[in-house]
Amino acid sequence: MTTQTEQMRTNQLPPQEGYESWAWKWMRYSGLLLIPLAWGHVLIQDILVGVHSIDLDYVAMRWASLGWRVYDFLLLAFAFAHGVNGLRQVLNDYIRQDSTRRRVTWLLFVLWIVISLIGAAAIVGGVRVP
Amino acid sequence: MESLKLNILGMARYRGREGQLSFILHRLAGLGTLLFLAIHIVDTSTVYFFPSLYEHAIEIYRSTLFMLGEIILVFCVIYHGVNGVRIAIFDLFAPERWNIETQRKTAQWSLAIAVILWLPAAYLMGRSLLVHNFGL
Repeated sequence: MTTQTEQMRTNQLPPQEGYESWAWKWMRYSGLLLIPLAWGHVLIQDILVGVHSIDLDYVAMRWASLGWRVYDFLLLAFAFAHGVNGLRQVLNDYIRQDSTRRRVTWLLFVLWIVISLIGAAAIVGGVRVP
Repeated sequence: MESLKLNILGMARYRGREGQLSFILHRLAGLGTLLFLAIHIVDTSTVYFFPSLYEHAIEIYRSTLFMLGEIILVFCVIYHGVNGVRIAIFDLFAPERWNIETQRKTAQWSLAIAVILWLPAAYLMGRSLLVHNFGL
């Protein structure tokens, strides 16, 4: 039986470095980076500009500047990876079987790659006139 | 399904106060934002793949239901951000300060800060909804 002091001592051991501890740290650093990126995007597009002022011309005008394309690309890369990894961490709390975990991780990985590529292609390709 | 029911029941019964509530709110806000983000990446990419569909997608976002959803989404993004910064700062820079008292106090503060930041945003978006969809 472990006593409470022993329990506390084991709790204080540094975590074993590995993929999960790297992902854990990455969630915190990317989260801090997403504060200016995601909040800036929401402030400009949702709050100040508003969906009634957004159309193809607006997107074309915004993406005419390379700076905004880089901004949107960073936002896409960091926000979606942060979100999908967050979903993976939530699901791992409820999935107990290792085989199911592996399958779900692969499914999320494919979903992440596909949607990220679709978004990246649009940012690189830009607005096409219909 | 059985384990989902057990989880929800457990969450409702467990009295973890601020720590538990901020944990649940953080996850719900994050998952809600992710759901929107996935849809939003795909709909925005129509500007390149199917430009004629983009205007149709924007038309849906302009509906009253979606504009109300947008106001909730902005709360999710703000709360998840404020609470996430709280977690990141403690975890990365001051892990020794994680205790029940600071947890409770800072969890209350992050909800308060999120609401304070959200109110002006909700006002502006609510006004835009009234102006555009109800002719005020």
